[in-house]
Amino acid sequence: MKIVLDHLQVQQGEWSLLVNGTFEEGIHLVSGVVGSGKSTLALAMAGIFTPSQGTVKREGIKTLMLSTQFPEFHITRLSIAEECASWGLDYKDVIRSARLKVDGNVSPLSLSRGELKRFHLACILAREYDLLLVDEPFSSLDCIEKELLCRELSTHDSGITIIFTHEQSIFPHVDHLWEIDAGELCALGRLPGALTRWQRAPALIKKLTDLGRCPVNLTPDAIREAACRIHE
Amino acid sequence: MPGKSHPRCDPGGCMQDPRIRLASAALISVAAFISIWGALAVLLWWLLFTPRMRRVKNIRVVTGMLVLIGVIAVLIWISGGDGLSYFLRFGVIVLVGTWLYTEQKPGDFLAVSVWAGKNRWGFELGMIGECAMQIAELLLCDYARIRIAMKLKGEDWGVRTLVPLCLILIHDALMRADEIAELLAVRGYRNGGVCCPVFCTGTLDQVSGICAICVFFFSIVPVSEFFILSM
Repeated sequence: MKIVLDHLQVQQGEWSLLVNGTFEEGIHLVSGVVGSGKSTLALAMAGIFTPSQGTVKREGIKTLMLSTQFPEFHITRLSIAEECASWGLDYKDVIRSARLKVDGNVSPLSLSRGELKRFHLACILAREYDLLLVDEPFSSLDCIEKELLCRELSTHDSGITIIFTHEQSIFPHVDHLWEIDAGELCALGRLPGALTRWQRAPALIKKLTDLGRCPVNLTPDAIREAACRIHE
Repeated sequence: MPGKSHPRCDPGGCMQDPRIRLASAALISVAAFISIWGALAVLLWWLLFTPRMRRVKNIRVVTGMLVLIGVIAVLIWISGGDGLSYFLRFGVIVLVGTWLYTEQKPGDFLAVSVWAGKNRWGFELGMIGECAMQIAELLLCDYARIRIAMKLKGEDWGVRTLVPLCLILIHDALMRADEIAELLAVRGYRNGGVCCPVFCTGTLDQVSGICAICVFFFSIVPVSEFFILSM
């Protein structure tokens, strides 16, 4: 299965985004600064937003899910139990998975932003999708929660998982790296080779690659291992 | 410090002066409600002086409302009432409301209220009107987002989902109103304010305004009065 973006173009006044590329099975990280068009691209890939030009071809993809940056946008029910049921899930499992201490009758909109994000991600990650688009999954999460989410995302070994983020410190295991730079999506390739081509790489990654100690992946363990090699 | 507004002119708009626009909308809405002849006169006014449906942002919502009125009209007709009159009068009111909403620009309510009620009560009322308009805009955005969320979950659109959807929309609107109130309080707002609105009144404003007054009088005077009936 794969998703092919053929000469996709989005034009909004002076701002534009040009996309050409094929996303195959594995975990993809799409990096880019705020306002570069990551969310727009995610919406276009999900078929919610129609681009000015070009096509999105989803081949062999039967199930699709998009997690938007704002968890409240996904809420369609008035209690946690009903909301979980609308996802086809049991609320007790979701509450446990999201590490929440609330009752099923509580309104999801009464949760704090961070709690709601955890709840929403637990609903999303409880099921397998052929194409999972996750837009800014780390926003509203603290470092511990980010690491837990990374571990969870790293276990996704089936289907296509695309993570859109401007995160600079904590990442899951990534197979393919992409970058939106100067209004264009660039395929940087597979890791670890892609890290040397990453224009706006996090400072630590840039430092390590400059020193010739390129980490094998972006996980905290891989970065720690590369950093330890400096002193060898 | 008094804030002087720029003249409220929109090159694409038909009626530039929000005072005349609001007053005309109020008059013709009453005219359409009073009688079927009034509704027909308002329809003619709407065809002549507004861009009709060309500038409507969400035509599906307007169509939905007209369909709903049509269904109610049919039910009235079946039960022996005057369904046609109901459909014409309320349909025209919906068209007038849609035109007013489409032509409304941020700051119009505030400008008109301050002009009419000065900087104390006028400012307060204008600000409430502006907040209401903003929330109405955001409700449409929230509705679109919920529809997307339901589509992603594979949920069907029906009566069972309608109630929680409406409650979520109300909840969001109340939360937003609460946040705006807190923000105003934090910024030191107590009551009133200073605003010096400047209006741009074109010839079309004057003509359409006078015609709206004529339509209003036409609706309140019996049709037979327009004709000399000799026995």
